Amino acid sequence: MSEGISYKFFSKPKLNSCSLIVCWKEDTGRLGVSVIDYINEKLNSQLFCEIEPEGFFYLGGVLVEDNIAQFPESKFYCCPEKKLVIVRSNTPRAEWYKFLNMLLDITEDICPIKDLYTIGGMVTLVAHTTPRKLLATANSPEMNTVLSRYDLSVDLNYETPSGQRPTLSSYLLWVARRRNIMGAALWMPMPFYLVSAGDPRAYKKTVDFLNFRFNLGIDISVFDDEIHRQNEKIARLSNRFLELDGFLRKLETNINLTEEENGRLVQLMEEYLGKDNQP
Amino acid sequence: MGIKLYKEPDLENPVLLACWPGIGNVGLVAVDTLRRMLEAEELGEIEPWDFFYPRKVLIRNGELKDLIFPENKFYFKRTEGKDLIFFIAEEQPALEGKAYAEGAKAYQMANLVLDVAVKFGCRRIFTSGAAIAATHHTMRPRVWAVPNASSLIPELRGYDNTILMSDIEGRGGEGNITGLNGLLLGVARTRGIEAICIMGEIPIYLQGFPMLYPKASKSVLEVLTQILGVSIDMSDITGFAERSEKEIDRLYGELPSEAKEQLDKLKDISQDKISEERIITEEDKKRILDDVDRFFRKDIKEDEN
Repeated sequence: MSEGISYKFFSKPKLNSCSLIVCWKEDTGRLGVSVIDYINEKLNSQLFCEIEPEGFFYLGGVLVEDNIAQFPESKFYCCPEKKLVIVRSNTPRAEWYKFLNMLLDITEDICPIKDLYTIGGMVTLVAHTTPRKLLATANSPEMNTVLSRYDLSVDLNYETPSGQRPTLSSYLLWVARRRNIMGAALWMPMPFYLVSAGDPRAYKKTVDFLNFRFNLGIDISVFDDEIHRQNEKIARLSNRFLELDGFLRKLETNINLTEEENGRLVQLMEEYLGKDNQP
Repeated sequence: MGIKLYKEPDLENPVLLACWPGIGNVGLVAVDTLRRMLEAEELGEIEPWDFFYPRKVLIRNGELKDLIFPENKFYFKRTEGKDLIFFIAEEQPALEGKAYAEGAKAYQMANLVLDVAVKFGCRRIFTSGAAIAATHHTMRPRVWAVPNASSLIPELRGYDNTILMSDIEGRGGEGNITGLNGLLLGVARTRGIEAICIMGEIPIYLQGFPMLYPKASKSVLEVLTQILGVSIDMSDITGFAERSEKEIDRLYGELPSEAKEQLDKLKDISQDKISEERIITEEDKKRILDDVDRFFRKDIKEDEN
């Protein structure tokens, strides 16, 4: 371990093997964090380890979000009954290779990793009512075979466009493959206009997959309530702002909105769908 | 963190030429042109993952096929009497938000490059980059040479179109070389290895441009081939420099006439003959650069649209 870079165990869970689920806090629409927090709460997962931020994160001050000072964290939770280790972390700003290897080292210090899943949101130009599938990228043909048994899109062809960089999840998959750990990145498409307000349909779909994959037995009806509440809010908003309905109908029928319409849609949703706002 | 060598050839009195991306990619284009023209063979690489974030992911049919990192490769070429090792990097190991290498990673990389140089018995290292100068793009770029030992100065004075920092008015032999071009010189000095940074002049008003400046690369290449005693066909780089100059002329022609008038004064400055009435004040310089910056920002936006 390099000088100044370390981690601390609070306990050492006893497991023969585990599946590792990873999410990044800076994720699109907070999908990963929303899903992981829900699962952790329902499974009563226990925090057992934390990576110290020094060397990986900017420590020249703190970021303030929703009026609250934040601090970078990389926390490891465990649910022995379900053989799960769950990592909830900010994305490091330096030493990515070292960080990703440390993440796997810490988990393997507990038990061998059977498989690895990252969870993330993906911005799309679809309507929130459009049926969506989780999209999966595997790091090996074996993992691809496993994934093909589920209701997932597993035929993605993609190359990072010029001027952009691969995601940290792709990087983690690559590091895992070098260590002979099979893994998959799961991407849930999210309508661009719900990135700020949140998308309970996307959360439900993702938890549903994890429920099925790991036999978690978690109640997902809470998301139906959230979906219902969001639908009602959007309906009230459509009554108040008549153009909104037209925007959503266009998206539902795969018609692209103009840049101006996109902007207006995002503005309305952000303004009126926030947690504390009622249209 | 390490070096991966594909082969270990016996090299005779090798010198190492290192380059990275930088302003106008002046050094990179010069050294890489030399490597290509001499058809140098791959020698090895510095494993990139400790230094760089990947550039690209390739996914096919839902499977991650590859993750591509910036390349940092060594090449070698046997020439008459003096063999060459090239180190060509696609990125500098910069801290987040910075363009040039600095900090622990940069120091580690400089040492890894020198480890290879020492392994093959290199006695001298060259780095190459751009020197931002009060010159005009129609002028022949001079080459600034900065050695890491005073014993090298007499030799450098003997090369065509080559100047030392002390030859540049107002500098008094002092200056700063940013990024790995400079760092490698310093680290080489502490390890007792001769090193020289060869920099082609780029006009001050082109420094922020997102474009290559092959005219300066050509000047660097002329000096490097002279120092190394190798001969290459210069027609490619000459053609490239001519095409680039035409494009700069075209953009220059669209500048506001006042900005052009001011920039034209640089033709005199670069000849080190500044008359009282033609001198550029700090205020002039700021106005010129603001004008140019505004102009080219507009141009880039139009390209994007």
